[in-house]
Amino acid sequence: MLKAYQKYFLNKLGWFLVTFVCAFILNFILPRLMPGDPVAAIVSRFAQGLSNATGVQAIYQQYTELFGTNRPMLEQFFIYVRNVVRGDFGFSFSMYPRTVADVLKSAIGWTICLQFPAIIVGWLIGNTLGALAAYLKGGFDKVLMPVSIFASNFPAFGMAIIFLVILGVGLEWFPTSGGYGFDMIPNFSWEFIWSVIVHYQLPFWSIVTIAIGGQAIGMRSMSIYELNADYVKYARFMGIQDKKIIGYVFRNAMLPQITGLALSIGTMVGGALFVEIVFSYPGLGYTLLNGVMGGDYPLISASTLIITVMVLSANFIIEILYGIIDPRIKAAQAD
Amino acid sequence: MRKSILFVVSLLVALSLVLPACAPPAPEVIEKTVEVPVEVEVEVPVEVTVEVPVEVTPIVEEDPTALPRNETMYFNGQQWGPVVGWNPYSSSNNNAMAISQGDNARVVMFETPYLYNMLDGQMYPLLADGPWSWNADMTEITFKIKKAAKWSDGTPLTAEDVAYTWATHVKYNTPTGAANVDYIDTIEAVDAQTVVIKAKLDADGKTVNPLAVAAYVSSNYVLQKAWTETLEARAGGDATELLADTAEDVVYSGPYTKFFADDQKVIYVRDDNYWGQDASMWGKLPAPKYLAHTIFKDNAAGSVALAKGEVDVSQQFNSNIQLLWLSYGLPISTYLPEAPYGIGASLPTAYYNLNSPGLDQVAVRKAIAIAVDYPTIIANAMTNQSATFDQVPRSLMNPTDGEQALYDHDAVADLQWAGNDIEGAKKLLDDAGIVDSDGDGWREYNGQKLSYIATCPNGWSDWQAAIEVVAAAGQEIGIEISSSYPEWSVYQTIVTKSDAPLPEGYDIFMMWSDGAGPTQPWGRIRHLLSSEFVGMASNWNGNWGQYSNPDVDALIQAIPGETDPAKLKEMYTELVKMYLTDIPSFTLMYRPQSFHAVNETVWTNFPHQDDGTDPPVPPLDCTDGWGVACLYNVTLVSP
Repeated sequence: MLKAYQKYFLNKLGWFLVTFVCAFILNFILPRLMPGDPVAAIVSRFAQGLSNATGVQAIYQQYTELFGTNRPMLEQFFIYVRNVVRGDFGFSFSMYPRTVADVLKSAIGWTICLQFPAIIVGWLIGNTLGALAAYLKGGFDKVLMPVSIFASNFPAFGMAIIFLVILGVGLEWFPTSGGYGFDMIPNFSWEFIWSVIVHYQLPFWSIVTIAIGGQAIGMRSMSIYELNADYVKYARFMGIQDKKIIGYVFRNAMLPQITGLALSIGTMVGGALFVEIVFSYPGLGYTLLNGVMGGDYPLISASTLIITVMVLSANFIIEILYGIIDPRIKAAQAD
Repeated sequence: MRKSILFVVSLLVALSLVLPACAPPAPEVIEKTVEVPVEVEVEVPVEVTVEVPVEVTPIVEEDPTALPRNETMYFNGQQWGPVVGWNPYSSSNNNAMAISQGDNARVVMFETPYLYNMLDGQMYPLLADGPWSWNADMTEITFKIKKAAKWSDGTPLTAEDVAYTWATHVKYNTPTGAANVDYIDTIEAVDAQTVVIKAKLDADGKTVNPLAVAAYVSSNYVLQKAWTETLEARAGGDATELLADTAEDVVYSGPYTKFFADDQKVIYVRDDNYWGQDASMWGKLPAPKYLAHTIFKDNAAGSVALAKGEVDVSQQFNSNIQLLWLSYGLPISTYLPEAPYGIGASLPTAYYNLNSPGLDQVAVRKAIAIAVDYPTIIANAMTNQSATFDQVPRSLMNPTDGEQALYDHDAVADLQWAGNDIEGAKKLLDDAGIVDSDGDGWREYNGQKLSYIATCPNGWSDWQAAIEVVAAAGQEIGIEISSSYPEWSVYQTIVTKSDAPLPEGYDIFMMWSDGAGPTQPWGRIRHLLSSEFVGMASNWNGNWGQYSNPDVDALIQAIPGETDPAKLKEMYTELVKMYLTDIPSFTLMYRPQSFHAVNETVWTNFPHQDDGTDPPVPPLDCTDGWGVACLYNVTLVSP
């Protein structure tokens, strides 16, 4: 028994490492295959209005040297690996002379604070509603299903703008932009915290509203499938209490949903781009978008590396937990 | 500390979980809801979010929880993305409010000897005492520094600082140094107050470019010698290090300094010891104690904030700005009460790739240019925030009175066009023998179908709208023009590479032109037409279509040394003629130097047309060139 689990664990770990190495290499190579020259973008800031050709050329060479973009790709890769091992992601091209670490540090907190609770809340509400719809059927299901399908297919941008226009501009219940009041200076006062909370609401509910629909639909289908499973019928014949049966049903229906949750949490560092743009909310999504647009290799590589690590880790942990929670999976894998 | 952070974050998360989306709860409610049993969700994010409150810890000693609205002027449209640094030698600070040298230099934190006024074309002394003057040979400019001028550390600002600033620019090949080293030889301090700028001379002993030398005094900051030496020591004499230094300790001479900056805003606070309150300059301090710029992520968010009164001065394109006062009755206004609402200063231009087959023919270039529906571009892309070509006929000049007076309108009237001339364009092509010979609906030249791609960077929505109108014009006259929008990172690399013909996909493309400034319109014309930029591997100057005409070059060469106004007018007229005849590029619209819209909920007395100021204060967001006078004129609506 233990040996089977060990084999399962080592198997998963092996795949984790292989995937990680592949992803790491791709994270490095893919941004560098994009067209455009990021150093030219930096030089453009220095060179506007510069009329002597040698001056511009000198500046250009200075920066290609500094960023190492003139070296062969393989050499760049080994320098990158060496630096990453030391925790040094280098300068951000698009925000030079800021370092990538500094750029990420100032934005990632906002992103996680917004995304993590939103994903959890959306997931909880969505799954609860989905399960209820499957169990209660009737009117509740008939209303919930179309609403969920509508919400989950509604463009995220549109939802955020509707919230902005109705609740922010029209009713003026909530502020329309920023992570805290336009007239505030960050400090530990009740006013500031309140300002953060108020500014949090529209971005937060924009994400949650979209998330709920998809989760509810998935959970409903899974639950209906489980509710009709043989073991449920058998349990009913046995006279087991409904409450107890429901417990079993939802535990089983939950499994795929947990995988989905793990993936959402893994990718959340990528930011909620639409929310950040519509509400000018601070975070990594917009920074990353600018990085991609500006060919900011170090920033793209660092961000995608974090996302890779988080997705792989979340997946790995879930797989390991599955092995424990659901013996069927372990058994199938160990064969 | 850590405990309180945990509490704050837990509270935040807990509240977000339980607060109904649309009921602003009273504080009592919140105290109760903190207890809601959502411990599992609450605990998890705590671990990862500890950085946030740390990041937003106040970095200032004074610690108000909020900026007093009556003491703060809010801006938008200047600062995009967080501030990177405070180093005035570098152009990589992304610190738009503090550091922006050029034709209308931003003088909030650092100052220039003179302030350029785009409305009357004059320079007014700031650090300088009285006007500057050329010597008899026109090889040296002399000016004095005001005795009252001081640095923020209380030491006097002297001629030696001016000289050392220039020497540093040259030594480290800064952008300012590289841009002026061809024109300025040395800058010397004769005594503590007197500065002499010695121009570079050509083989005949004449100043290479008197215009560029004179423009230096209003375009470039004076920086402190003592601080510069500190910076040099820190950088160990290395140019890259020096330019990458964030210069948090910089000494400045202007009325404002840094107060707070994070990813969401940057705030500047008034230095109440500012030397400019001396009677020899402003005689008082600027009215707002704080200048604050919220960092918005797009124009839409900025426009909403302007409408809500969270922005006082807006330097961004606000689509259909007139609706804010006409339809919503908001106390918002622009420099002019009617369209075009602002003073046009630059000429966003469509360049032809003169190497594309067919576009080497004037007939084809002219046919496309006269067929374009400019009124639609101006109405749609600019929502009428540009003068039309009926109001200001096309030339090389911007719509300001000063530039318009520089050429003979009658002499070029036959060459100008206002657009939408489909029949004229067709006739032009027919007469040139460029017709549709194979009946496919498209004209051919030398047996080759005229088919082009018009392009501009993706996401530059006003330019994209203009490009679509250009493409539509092609359709009307039998020339196939399709549009394409590469990302800016790609676009700029290709367009600025002038040492080889432009590649496919860049037949007609948009770029900007110079705005208003002390070297204009000469600088703009040079950037539009001079062949000196053809062959540059990284050309950030202009003439991206690679036009070359020795007669044009000769005039561009001669203008800076010409002082006779009648002669100048003749030369400019000649240039306009050649431009409108050869059509290597064509103006699509007029664009203001700054989009200057103000919300007068809190502050009033902003610059408006005929506001009675003398000299007139230009609509440059209260920060640029002589426009900074606005900060001393504004008053509170409710003091």
